[in-house]
Amino acid sequence: MVKPTLTSLLRLRAHKGSMTSELVRNPADHGLGIPQVPSRVAPVATTTSVCGFCSTGCSLKIHLGPDGQALNLSADENYPVNLGMACPKGWESLAVLDAPDRATTPLLRNKATGQLEPVSWQVAIAAFVDNFKKIQSVHGNHALSFLSTGQIPFEEMAFLGALFKFGMGGLHCDSNTRQCMATAHVAYKQSFGFDAPPFSYSDFEESDVLVFVGANPCIAHPIMWQRVMRNRRNPRIIVIDPRRTETAMCATDHLAILPKSDLVLFYALAHLIVKKGGVDESFITASTEGFEAFKDFLQAYSVERASEATGLTVERIDEIATLLADKSKRVSYWWTMGVNQGHEATRTAQALINLALMTGQIGKPGTGANSITGQCNAMGSRLFGNVTSLLAGRDFAKPADRDFVANVLGIDPAVIPSEKSWAYDQIIDGIDGGLIKGLWVIATNPAHSWIHQNRIHEIRAKIDFLVVQDIYHTTEIAQMADLVLPAAGTGEKEGILINSERRLGVIRKVRRAPGQSLADFAIFQLVAEAWGCGDMFRAWSSPEAAFRLLRETTRGQPCDFTGIEGYDHIQREGGIQWPFTASEAAVSSSPERERRLFADGKFCTPDARSKFFFDEPRAPAEVPCPDYPLWLNTGRGSSAQWHTGSRTDKSAILRKLAPLSQIVEINPLDARRLAIIDGQSVTISSRRGTATATAVVVETVQPGQVFMPMHFAHMNRLTFPSYDPHSRQPSYKACAVTIVSA
Amino acid sequence: MTPSSPHSESDLLATRYPLPATSPLDSFLAELLADQQRLITPAARASAVFDAQPAHLRGEAFRDLIPLTAPGPGEQYAFEVDLDSCSGCKACVVACHSLNGLDETESFRDVGLVLGTDSCGAPFQQTVTSACHHCEDPGCLNGCPVLAYEKDPVTGIVVHLDDQCIGCSYCVLKCPYDVPKYNERLGIVRKCDMCHGRLAEGEAPACAQACPTHAIKIIKVPVVSEATTPLLASASVPSPAITTPTTRYISKKPLPTVLRAADARALRPQHAHYALVFLLTFTQISLGLLIGSQLSALNSQLLTILSLAFFAAGLGASVAHLGQPLRAWRVFLGLRKSWLSREAVVLGAAFPLVALTAAQPWIPNLLNSLPFAPPAFITGLLASRLVPLASIAVTAMGVFCSAMIYIDTHRSFWRPSQSFGRMAGTVLIAALAPHTPSLAAFALLAKLALELSTLRGDSASARLQRGPLAPLVIARVFIAGITLPAIFHLPSLIFLILFALGELLERTLFFRAVDSPKMPGVPTS
Repeated sequence: MVKPTLTSLLRLRAHKGSMTSELVRNPADHGLGIPQVPSRVAPVATTTSVCGFCSTGCSLKIHLGPDGQALNLSADENYPVNLGMACPKGWESLAVLDAPDRATTPLLRNKATGQLEPVSWQVAIAAFVDNFKKIQSVHGNHALSFLSTGQIPFEEMAFLGALFKFGMGGLHCDSNTRQCMATAHVAYKQSFGFDAPPFSYSDFEESDVLVFVGANPCIAHPIMWQRVMRNRRNPRIIVIDPRRTETAMCATDHLAILPKSDLVLFYALAHLIVKKGGVDESFITASTEGFEAFKDFLQAYSVERASEATGLTVERIDEIATLLADKSKRVSYWWTMGVNQGHEATRTAQALINLALMTGQIGKPGTGANSITGQCNAMGSRLFGNVTSLLAGRDFAKPADRDFVANVLGIDPAVIPSEKSWAYDQIIDGIDGGLIKGLWVIATNPAHSWIHQNRIHEIRAKIDFLVVQDIYHTTEIAQMADLVLPAAGTGEKEGILINSERRLGVIRKVRRAPGQSLADFAIFQLVAEAWGCGDMFRAWSSPEAAFRLLRETTRGQPCDFTGIEGYDHIQREGGIQWPFTASEAAVSSSPERERRLFADGKFCTPDARSKFFFDEPRAPAEVPCPDYPLWLNTGRGSSAQWHTGSRTDKSAILRKLAPLSQIVEINPLDARRLAIIDGQSVTISSRRGTATATAVVVETVQPGQVFMPMHFAHMNRLTFPSYDPHSRQPSYKACAVTIVSA
Repeated sequence: MTPSSPHSESDLLATRYPLPATSPLDSFLAELLADQQRLITPAARASAVFDAQPAHLRGEAFRDLIPLTAPGPGEQYAFEVDLDSCSGCKACVVACHSLNGLDETESFRDVGLVLGTDSCGAPFQQTVTSACHHCEDPGCLNGCPVLAYEKDPVTGIVVHLDDQCIGCSYCVLKCPYDVPKYNERLGIVRKCDMCHGRLAEGEAPACAQACPTHAIKIIKVPVVSEATTPLLASASVPSPAITTPTTRYISKKPLPTVLRAADARALRPQHAHYALVFLLTFTQISLGLLIGSQLSALNSQLLTILSLAFFAAGLGASVAHLGQPLRAWRVFLGLRKSWLSREAVVLGAAFPLVALTAAQPWIPNLLNSLPFAPPAFITGLLASRLVPLASIAVTAMGVFCSAMIYIDTHRSFWRPSQSFGRMAGTVLIAALAPHTPSLAAFALLAKLALELSTLRGDSASARLQRGPLAPLVIARVFIAGITLPAIFHLPSLIFLILFALGELLERTLFFRAVDSPKMPGVPTS
């Protein structure tokens, strides 16, 4: 407790004193263009750094003390993404670095005691190499695998992918972006010829009709919602979501469809648009292929069929179709995990792409079929993860692409495998089947986040050596590891994150990493040296050196950013969207701040035409039944929580903004029927497992459905492991459960 | 996990992974670790050029968020929240925390959720952000015993004087919106000051400037003497009549008239305030014993001494309640409005009288030893009648003030019947027990009935006592159950101990089971 001073003690009314001055804010005397702050945290300088949580890619103005350490932050008003705003996670992004459970030293499981014990980096790296090489020599190259992340800079992702596949000879690896963006990736790649989200955030402001599907930007992407609120065109905002979410509340129209009925709805809408003459014939002719087949296919999708599937009235569907068919309106389609995480997700995303294509609503202001990304660097992972695609969105199967990359990196093309990597679920199967024996997990927490989580725990014993590289040693997966490698977090290292609108943004090192933790980049350098392939990565001497190298891999690709000089250039321009080619840079080094793709109607396919993809909708593999009568939907719980909570749970202030433990939202009708009252503890069971939660009785979920936020440890005990056949993304949004009082 | 030295690993592990004495990796590792700790100093940072931005440009940005001129006569500043713009992102809470340099868990703004059904029968939810309502008749200000709150005569902002605060937390109980929060580190409460320093410089408050959709603004509102319109649908927020809050929640859409706070059913056992439990219980027992000593000649000397002992213990305990006891000498400042100030002053005055009463047998001797001793009948009267009566009267006034402290919070559990009933009951039982045990037993039963009557119904207090506080209720009833026969059958000292214990439990429940009005919160688990 703070002791008062004598003078303040003796005054009859103490208007001044040490406690008062703690909160007295300095009028802007620091001259740094930042808001007033108390002198205790008054900075001597500032820099900017992009937020490391979600894909919005906000720039934060970091307040620096005299030694260059970050004291505080505010939002960057000069950045075209966030215009001086940030969400709670951004505001607290420094605080989560101070957690007491940061991994500060490598930890190795002592076989004798069964405990994770601190060891030196020398021992840790020796253990890494020794064990993985042993596994590789006994079981072959397929026996090693990694599961990585969308949360680290793309230089680190590329380093990991190159080290694993080119240096260590590994084959099968994946990233948690499989859980979030794989569907959008595949949908765009098939439809447009490249994984190219076409929009910029200014399209939120320029649109007349915004259709949000399975997206809750009010809390999941609040700073994108800011852009929607800046729309001065009096837009219709249509939210398609089984739940009446925060975004549905803010919308002009909410279509509370039944679970898993979206694909039928979109086909019926397309059918109606054809009937209403909403098709943009000239665009179809000039820029697309396959529309006639699509039109024939649509014959089977009557509005009545959609009405029956969705629970919406025929009139309501017709009214929406009229809006979408209106050629005088700018219509944009936006989707997130409600689409991406489905059993027929790719076709659902493409159904939205088809709607935009057939009405010519693409390449113009306020239009587009636009995937809002999840993680801060999901786009980086899609381009540079070196997992499904070779670097810069190239193809492992194509010799020309392998040669090109080998040439840029100065390596032997023969070390680049032509074999396609297994997807996340196939890697899990591989472990279960005894094919994969060594697993390296980087900045992700599958023991919490993977669908049908119990299986991860069940197959743990089949992994001979599990390495977890994370900034905390307390994540569920780190607790299961044989070796924990302590990583530096965003704010303690440099690199580039690529946001939803293809914008490259810089993260800066403004904090000293605790203990002996190292940037993931440095850990990969260390592993490369110890593995004996250090020579292959001599040019990767720093993140920015790697950036310059990787920049060259994009040359001639749709994502070509050879016009970018380096980090300072990106920071100076307020981030730079790809593409930005060397020839564009020769004209001006300052690209337009907000650019969209396909204005010329030319897509990335060999014939420059976009394609229509469609399939007959399928019923999900698990639907409610008498034993498990309720649909379980899952998703983001609040703006203050991020994924498995490994970071956001570390901020006391963020924890005040959300429930502290698992909740389940249930409709009052179901609650009454099951004699469940608000606030009571309940047990939720599926065929795979059980979880306990506090019941929140609320009208915003429909009868027959329950909703659980994904941020708590046991929700994924319930989820049903089904995957989209094209993207192999798990279907987190629908399984059958039953609920009883605990 | 504390950073460990690179050589701290067990021999076991070192032998499992034998390393050459100096591995070529060592120097590389040392280089990487050193590089990891290297930061670019601000002086060397070229990016400083991005920072230069004229302050007046920033002012432009706030033009829509704050009034251009100070409030005129009959006006004050207020928060306006556009519910249609508020999307529930909660940036306001965290920006308040960050830009005001608050402690780890501290923010002067909070958000909650209200739920219901709209006029078309569609589900309705709305995030509600709230900070201090800068009330026109602030409960905090009125209750503060040391005048640590000021309402700015021009802006109407309710400012807390952090160096004046004694940390008694009475304002926490007085505010119907749960705004002032106790800060353990400082031993004082702190609260929102509408960032008045920012406003003075043309900068918007932290919450307003951080709202991505500009849902929070500062407006000027006419001063009214008493608010009648609730902030939101009445069932979801405390009555505005208590303090006349100034915040305006606006919406173009008609809001449902029936709304419930998302945490309405949440059970929040309140702070026990043990120091106050002892203060109240012991000063009231003290008063009872004092009265008892006058009712019965038997043991009256012992009773007055016991009375003094209880009083001293109660007062002593009360000091432990304060976060900043050294500042408590100013406690008389609030006499005009604060029942807490009155209690402190009156009980403070009562203590020497109670002490004199205990010293009563020695008073005549003491007075007679003076050079000009008053006549014996006067000293006798003074000692045997006037001093005890005065101390009873003053202590009773103090106990009255004690009860009023809680009644004045307008909390339903602390309604007059409960506050007076419980406190007067303690006095009465203590007074009757030495004299008429049967009446004392009857009084104890009646008091118990009064207490248990609060277990009925659906109020927060009832649910708390039937739920998480049930063990405390059971313990209270159990102790009362053995106190009753003790009145008749056990030595009075044992009765007194049992009785005091029971009353301490009752008073703990009095604090822990109180309803705690606040703005809507988030669903809790």
